[in-house]
Amino acid sequence: MIIIPLIILVIPLIASIFYKNIKNSTTIGAIIEVFMLIPLYLLNPYKGFFYIDNVTFIFVLMVSSIYLLSTLYSRKYVHDIKNSGISENLYYLLMNFFYVAMEFALMVNNYGFMWVGIETTTISSALLLITEKSDTSLEATWRYIIIVSAGVTFAFISVILIYYSFGTLTVTTILAEKISDTLTVRLAVGIALVGFGTKVGIFPVHTWLPDAHSEGPAPVSAMFSGVLLPTALYVLYRIYEIFPMKGIFVWAGTISVLFAALFLSYQHNYKRMFAYSTMENMNIALIGLGTGTRIGLIGSLLLLLSHSFGKAGAFYTTGDILHISGTKEMDKISGFMANKRISASLLLSSFAVTGTPPYGTFFGEFLILYSVLSIHFYAQFIIIVFSLFIAFVSINLNVSRMIFRGKYEYSKKSGSIIPLISGIISIAIGIIFLVIINAIL
Amino acid sequence: MNIMYTIIYLIAAFLAITGFHIQSEKYLRSMVLGLAIQSSMIALISFIFGIILNSYTFIILGILVIFLRVILVTYFLINKIPRSLSYVYESKVSTTYMLILDFIFIIISIFIVYSISFIHIVTITYPVKNILLFPLLLFFQGLFLIASRKRTIAQVLGYVEEENSLIILGVFLLPVPIIIESSVFLDVLILVVIFSVISIEKNVHEKMEELRG
Repeated sequence: MIIIPLIILVIPLIASIFYKNIKNSTTIGAIIEVFMLIPLYLLNPYKGFFYIDNVTFIFVLMVSSIYLLSTLYSRKYVHDIKNSGISENLYYLLMNFFYVAMEFALMVNNYGFMWVGIETTTISSALLLITEKSDTSLEATWRYIIIVSAGVTFAFISVILIYYSFGTLTVTTILAEKISDTLTVRLAVGIALVGFGTKVGIFPVHTWLPDAHSEGPAPVSAMFSGVLLPTALYVLYRIYEIFPMKGIFVWAGTISVLFAALFLSYQHNYKRMFAYSTMENMNIALIGLGTGTRIGLIGSLLLLLSHSFGKAGAFYTTGDILHISGTKEMDKISGFMANKRISASLLLSSFAVTGTPPYGTFFGEFLILYSVLSIHFYAQFIIIVFSLFIAFVSINLNVSRMIFRGKYEYSKKSGSIIPLISGIISIAIGIIFLVIINAIL
Repeated sequence: MNIMYTIIYLIAAFLAITGFHIQSEKYLRSMVLGLAIQSSMIALISFIFGIILNSYTFIILGILVIFLRVILVTYFLINKIPRSLSYVYESKVSTTYMLILDFIFIIISIFIVYSISFIHIVTITYPVKNILLFPLLLFFQGLFLIASRKRTIAQVLGYVEEENSLIILGVFLLPVPIIIESSVFLDVLILVVIFSVISIEKNVHEKMEELRG
């Protein structure tokens, strides 16, 4: 049954062979990838060269779906870019490699190869950031490469220490062993938190995140925010499972959530604001996973799934806004109310990323907070609630200003339908969860 | 066999010296050559281990280091240095102060990381465990180089130095599967290629108003 994950990895590569017509082949490939989720679900659980369980499946679902949405959104967006740093065909080629690297990191049953997958995502995605070429995007790309590579290199020490402790890097073999509380194992997990945490967006090693997200083209920012960071979080979670260091993980997440909320409160650039919102959401998910409870795990998965669609929708909308207004400054934007599609998708996605009921993010955050209380982390609970409040007010206030304030200037030009679909999926996830919970209770 | 281990220890100490040399060097070209010497030392250590432990994986590792790091990476980097820029030293802080700062940073880092955690780790391939001090020293040296320099090429050198430290850490601690080790080399090579693309447009990295906050 190794064939199913292999097909998932090979399809985008086959699509890349048709380089002259890569735009269409990538779209077809992305649609097939979403359909491949059905056999993958039926295969679950699977242990071999690949490791697929329910957690893996949710992450693969996220990555495949956002890859499809980004591919569809890119068709017009990338074509319209005037000062392009890379050609349109190269863009799709790199996008395919980027996607394959993420799927590989998620499905492979080996910590070493997971590290390889995460490092490959950096290499394949770096040049995507200069699709819209400018001096700032070049600087952001370089910061992304150097900071993330340095962080992930540090994570390699963790891989070495895991091999030192267990004599193998196979995930299932290590997780099947009894939890061993040795200094080396603790060190491995702690170093992974800092190393892979660089890619997850943990404070203070998050500095590449707002730069890359704000300077990348909208579909790439959506991929970064919606699925790249969760992929790194997944790898970090698999290492955390070896020896759950609850205190350190929850504290690291809590401090990062607080700083993310503070940083996003004074942003003038709407893309940077959404980037800090990603940092905030990823760290809440980290807290949920860090609690080590089943409720925390479910909450994190729900949050990540709903957030991926919501945040992808938010970034696609920023692409439309940038295209129409020509600026990233929130102060210079007003009156989007007249453009029904853009204002609706912006509102839907900003509600999604700030955890408004009945979005999946709301239920996810609720479950995570519940799990934090259940392990008696009261100080962390208070800090998280305070940070969530700041983030909620800051983002929704800024978005409301962009939509409702001033003259209605942008009524004639319409935006893409993809952000709206993305925002609706995010709310649908919350409603489906509510229906399921209601049926269970 | 003891003499072989002593030789390895001396070469490891020499690695640390190359790290300080690269940090203090004013000329970009000399910095690249310093890194090539550092990589050669790592290959040499790997070959000696291959002979002592009778393990072919160390020999393969040594060959990979020579081919990718000493030859290819050096070739790429040297070719990217414009002749007019080969002498440029971007920092306004004098070399002496920079080295003192470097010493302080490394001593504090090593004290925290080594004395608290790595001191308890027993090396498998080498009889004396304090040999781990050298890869750690090299790692922080690389980090400091990235942080202290503004030029793209100097930051790349810091990154390659960091990865050099991981290879040597893996060699001293235990032989990590060669397939994982090789990916580290591939990683460096591709990063250098990306560097080549970016450096065409941007050679120096300063603070930018758009990326503040």
